[in-house]
Amino acid sequence: MSVESESTTATESRSFLDRLRNSPFLSELLSNRLALVGLAIIFGMLFVGLYARVTYDVSVLRSSRLGGAIADRAAPVWTGAADATGLFGTDASARDIYKRTLYGAWIALKFGSITVGVSTAAGVGLGIIAAYYGDVTDNVIMRTMDVLLAFPSLLLALALVAIFGAGLWKAVIALILVYTPRFARVVRGAALKVLEDEYVDATVAIGATDPRVLVRHVLPNTLAPITVQSTLNFGLAIIDIAALSFLGFGAQAGTPSWGLMLAKGVENGLQTGKWWMSFFPGLFLAITVLGFNLLGDGMRDALDPRMRDAVD
Amino acid sequence: MVSKRFILKRLLLLVPVLFGVASLVFAILHLAPGDPARLIVGQRAPPSQVEAVRESLGLNDPLYVQYGRFLVDAAQFEFGDSYQVSRGNPVSQVIKTRLPVTVELALYGQVIGIALGIPLGIVSAVKQDSLTDHVTRVGALTGISVPIYWSGPLLILLFSAYLGIFPAAGRIGSTIFLDDHWVLFGRELPLTGMVTVDTLLLGRPDAWFSAVQHLFLPAMTIGVYSMALISRMMRSSMLEVVRQDYMRTARAKGQGAKITVLKHGFRNAFIPVITVIGIQFGTLLGGAVLTETVFGIGGVGTTLVEAISDSDYPVVQGIVLTFALLFTLVNLGVDITYSYLDPRIQQ
Repeated sequence: MSVESESTTATESRSFLDRLRNSPFLSELLSNRLALVGLAIIFGMLFVGLYARVTYDVSVLRSSRLGGAIADRAAPVWTGAADATGLFGTDASARDIYKRTLYGAWIALKFGSITVGVSTAAGVGLGIIAAYYGDVTDNVIMRTMDVLLAFPSLLLALALVAIFGAGLWKAVIALILVYTPRFARVVRGAALKVLEDEYVDATVAIGATDPRVLVRHVLPNTLAPITVQSTLNFGLAIIDIAALSFLGFGAQAGTPSWGLMLAKGVENGLQTGKWWMSFFPGLFLAITVLGFNLLGDGMRDALDPRMRDAVD
Repeated sequence: MVSKRFILKRLLLLVPVLFGVASLVFAILHLAPGDPARLIVGQRAPPSQVEAVRESLGLNDPLYVQYGRFLVDAAQFEFGDSYQVSRGNPVSQVIKTRLPVTVELALYGQVIGIALGIPLGIVSAVKQDSLTDHVTRVGALTGISVPIYWSGPLLILLFSAYLGIFPAAGRIGSTIFLDDHWVLFGRELPLTGMVTVDTLLLGRPDAWFSAVQHLFLPAMTIGVYSMALISRMMRSSMLEVVRQDYMRTARAKGQGAKITVLKHGFRNAFIPVITVIGIQFGTLLGGAVLTETVFGIGGVGTTLVEAISDSDYPVVQGIVLTFALLFTLVNLGVDITYSYLDPRIQQ
């Protein structure tokens, strides 16, 4: 009995690996050099973020070091300036920008993942339900989504932040509400196409329940456009979370988030030419977003060309 | 031809959306923390005074009465008076003076984006897989990955702090003063609020030059981002068109390559790009919040940020509704243009 079940799993996993190896999507993606660069950037940033999360004491990164031996607003050490300190210099509170920037990778990826993860899940759920049940359900869900889509995205996020108040978690919730409609629309479109296929009718005819049809048949066939949309949205989520922090509605004082560091860099170093205060957090932010865009673009190209229409 | 039915249908579809938008904006005031009356009179005012303000604002009425009143007022573009940002002044007045600033910035940014993005996209597509193509593609991808609130500060550092060519903030030199109206055939006329237009109307080339100088960096910041987005779309749209049969036919009948690309290719490839430009304009209005903050420009964007920080809810409501309305109208315009250019859409 147990031998039999083991061998079944073995065959299943082998066939899964074979399927993966034979998948035109994956081979196409792996032959795309830019997509691989994107993947490398993402893993690199993940490593940097995890390293900073494990190694640095966040309370030290948060609290002001003013009054200590280290100068504030000091240039990076390799510039050769008189009071130069640290690889990336120090900020207006004499904190080490290098360590804070590295830690920022952890914050960006953590909150980015949560935002994209939750809005994808919500969008998939709503989109599939709207497509499958149609009629009133479809109308109620999609018209609500239309209302949310009637705002420019950052503006809706700001309006929601006006209700929720400032804070990183609140910014994440606001952005989840901003992104969910986009996923719902893509998924609904893809699901409607799947539902036209005869095998869905066949499954229903042999007595499959609604949840089974949705989870076993509709969901797997909408995964491709969702994955691309999520990847491209990941970069956007990181930019938008940092934007809310930049405007003062996201991360609060002291948090080593790229958006807030940029805001402080602009406030304290722009007019006086202290470029390092805003340069490094912005550079890391842009590189991370570029990584996701490179990968997302590669994934979109690797998909069936007809699918490109489904993803904006 | 765009059929009247199509436009009517699109307009009717807008009604529930605008209704939903208005409801969400109404909710801002009632879901946000803090008592508006308390915000107006201040922390130290006696409760009787707070109560009087509550009564005068109609905050003691049942919610559905307030909601109805809000809808009627919003339809007439009335949002009450500002609590903080422009204390005591009607919100509609605040928006009227600051919206032109934002629109001006967005327009210049968009013009730069279109002027650079479309040729780049076409060249990239026509010379597919050449070095030019690769550089353009990676450049465009980098362009959309760099947030405005980083490219803006970088431009300020380079052109203002180091080179000193362009000013870092503001809209016009601090020593320049402009009249508040202009004169045409002896009649006094109001100004537009767009500084590059007003300076010309007033016949002040010195002031115009200063205004253009101030506008250059913020418009460039927006323009580069917009260029990246437009060139990407133009390229992929052009690539699709280049492979069509009619392109080969045109070449086969002896038409030159350049004319084929421009006359047959561009005209067809441009249609989907219009959508991007339209949607992009909405994003620009949202992005103006960031650009204005970076460059210290007093448009609607900075006003919104200020209003949210100060819990000035009427101003927040007014600006959010205005933006949503503009965004919806631009999208409607895009849809109609699109169906005019490609009548198949109407079916």
